[in-house]
Formats: sequence, structure tokens, C-alpha cells
Amino acid sequence: MIPMITAAVLGCIGIAVYGMFFGLVLQGVDRKWAARMQARYGPPLHQPFIDIAKLLCKDNIIPKNAVKSVFNAAPVIALAASITILLYLPIGSIMPVLGGWGDIILVIYLLTVPGLAMVAGGLASGSPYATVGSQREMVTMIAYELPLAIAVVAIAWRLNAAGVADPFSLVTLAQTPVWGVVGIPGIIGLLLLMLAIAWVTPAELSRVPCDTPEAETELCGGLLVEYSGKNLALFSLSGAVKMVAMATLTVVLFLPWNLTWFIPLTGAVGIVADLAFFVLKVLLVVFFSVSLIRVGMARFRINHLVTFYWGYITLIGFTGMILLVLDAVLGMGVVA
Amino acid sequence: MLTDTLLTGFGAWNPIAWVIAFAVALFIAWIIQRMGEPDVPGEGESGKPYLSGNDEPTPEATHIGGSNLYWGCTEAMNGYYARIVPLHTGCLTDYVLWVLGTFALLVIFIGVL
Repeated sequence: MIPMITAAVLGCIGIAVYGMFFGLVLQGVDRKWAARMQARYGPPLHQPFIDIAKLLCKDNIIPKNAVKSVFNAAPVIALAASITILLYLPIGSIMPVLGGWGDIILVIYLLTVPGLAMVAGGLASGSPYATVGSQREMVTMIAYELPLAIAVVAIAWRLNAAGVADPFSLVTLAQTPVWGVVGIPGIIGLLLLMLAIAWVTPAELSRVPCDTPEAETELCGGLLVEYSGKNLALFSLSGAVKMVAMATLTVVLFLPWNLTWFIPLTGAVGIVADLAFFVLKVLLVVFFSVSLIRVGMARFRINHLVTFYWGYITLIGFTGMILLVLDAVLGMGVVA
Repeated sequence: MLTDTLLTGFGAWNPIAWVIAFAVALFIAWIIQRMGEPDVPGEGESGKPYLSGNDEPTPEATHIGGSNLYWGCTEAMNGYYARIVPLHTGCLTDYVLWVLGTFALLVIFIGVL
């Protein structure tokens, strides 16, 4: 019990600092990349830090129609839930702080909590724009959860078919690359699942083309329209931490290799090398799943978003899953 | 015991660990919130919701009912709903027929496989 409490308390403090710092850096990098792709110079890398500092100096206006307690509590819950997701995810070769006390199913559930907090905050704002934004956020969540669950379950099932114990454990997923247990059909299936997850990421993060709940040009910020000052800063921090969580989840599922698996580095040098390699993989995921997509596309309409995720992306996910099942049934790759 | 970790052979789950971590994370988030400027109750124009300069409608006029809450979903799947909704006739014998038909299909499916 004592090790668990110590890990939860100390780990949470450390992970909170790491998540917010790295998340804001990733947002800065994303903004810089997007600007360069649009032939702009773009803001400095530390602009997200300046934005947070600025928001903390601004007044926090509570609308007259708002339900004050929910309006103020929602951003706190969103940030806290985002931080706890990172406690179950590995960082390079450093295993998850709470890896022995939760698995990837828990991570999928926790990923929905910041979104639900935003919905509650939007509905408590007393604004028609925020109400429509909250409604859209709920529909968006319904749309992307299915392909995400398909990808996770398919990979865990294939690892289980290969005789790997605890296939839903993040420690197992981080130490056992699924690519190593599959044959040719499985590799094609995994590529399809990777494509599905790459499309789930912008929806999870409410980034273009899935920013319909905020929709600056039509809803003026949607569910965040009435938020200002410290509460908006907390939602921004929550989004930054969630970006780290989603990128890390993709890395764990599809790119779990560490540098020390190939180069004999030990001790602190090995940990630092693995961390640097991990950062590189996260940046790669952010570039393809966030920056590239948001620069190249316009916003989906909310009904198109559902059609896209429940139709095309789910179909891609199912095809990937069937190929993984065939891979095991036909005895391609490793089968227990 | 409640503090024990549920180990299924597929994964693990300990609610106490998450609750402790969540409480600490809540405290951290609350401290950041406290670092900001104090709340300002919206007075006059600043207290009204932003509506691009339009007059504020009554709460009744902007209320989203249950039937509209998932509009994006129902609109995207209107082809499905167009077929499913007419099947809800409200006639009890129709529903019993559906139950019996589904049950018969299940028996055939289980019996064959």
C-alpha cells in the first residue's frame, strides 16, 4: 500500500510538471511547423508558455447565466484527469509510474474525462454558442471512440494469441512490439490500424479538421466561448497534456522501440538516449497526426465527422483487426 | 480487499491508486487556478453571453432538447434511422414477433455453429 501511495503522490507531481512543460513545447513546435507549411514565420517556440502566463494575468469573468461551481470546477477536473492519464504511460525506457495498477482500457476511459469536463463547463456557461459546442463535443467523442477501441483491442488480442501475458498492460505493450509477432497480413493490418489511430488523434485533441466543438468562425470558440483568464489557461494546459498523452499512446502501440535495444548503452546515458529517441517519435506522431492534417484540411461538418469516423475510419480499423485475426488463424507470425 | 489490485491475466486495475493520483492532480490544478486573477462576476454587458452582437434569446429558445442533443449522429445515420424508426409500430404483438424471430435465429445460429 505504501509504495502505491508514494508512487501516486510523488509520481503525480513529477508527471504533472513533465506533462505541462512537454505539452506546451509540443504546441509550440506544432504552431511553428504549421506556420512554416503556410509560408509564415510563425510564433516563437515558447509562445504557448507566454499565452498561459498572459491568461493567468487576465480577469476570470463569470457570465451572469453561468452555473458558477461547475463553470469553475470543469477546467480543474479536465487538467487533473489529463495528468492522471500520463501516470499509466511509459516515457522512453522509463516504465509507467502506475503501470502495475492500471492498463490501457483505463487509459481509454480517462481520455474521455477531459472532454466530458469541457462539455460540463460549456453547458454551465449559459451561452447558446457553448451549448451547441458541448453538443458537438459529445457527438465527436461518440464518433472517434469506436476506431480507437478497435485498434487497442486488436493489438492486445494479437499479442494474447502470440502467448504474451497481460496484453492490455502498458508495460507489456512498451516492451513487446506487436510488429515482432505478426506475419505479412498482420503487418498490413497494423499499418491500417496505425492510420486509424493517426486520424483519431486530431479528434481527441479537437484540432482541425475535428475542431467542430470550438469552430472559431461559426461558434466563436464554442464550448470555450465564455471562458477567460485562469480557467481558459487550465483548459489550454489540459489540451497540452492530452497532446502528450495521445502521442505517447500512439508511440506505445506502434513505435515502442528504444535506442538501447539496438545500441549497447547502459545507466543514465541509456535512459537519456531512450528519452531523446522517445521525444523524436512523439514529434513524428505530432507532425503527421496534428500539424500536417490541420494545415492540409478544412473543418468537418459535425455530421460529416460522424460519417467519416463511423464509416471510413471504423472500416479501416475493422479491416486491420480482421487481418490481425487472419494472421493468427493462418499461423503467420508467432502463435502460441 | 478494496485496496487489492485486480489482476485479470490481461491487465490490472486498482481504483485506489487512481483516486490518490487524481486527488493530487486536482490539488495541482487548483493551485494553478489560484495563481490566476480572482473571479470577476459579469456585470452589465460583460455578464451577457457573447452572441456576435445579437440580442440574447430566452433560455427556453436556446434549450437543446434530448432529440437534438445527438443531432450530428442522427443526421449522419439518417439512412439507418429511416429504416429502423418505422419498425417501432407501438403494437405489442409486433415486438413479441421480433423477440421470437431473433430468438429463433439465435437458436439456429448456436445450433449450427
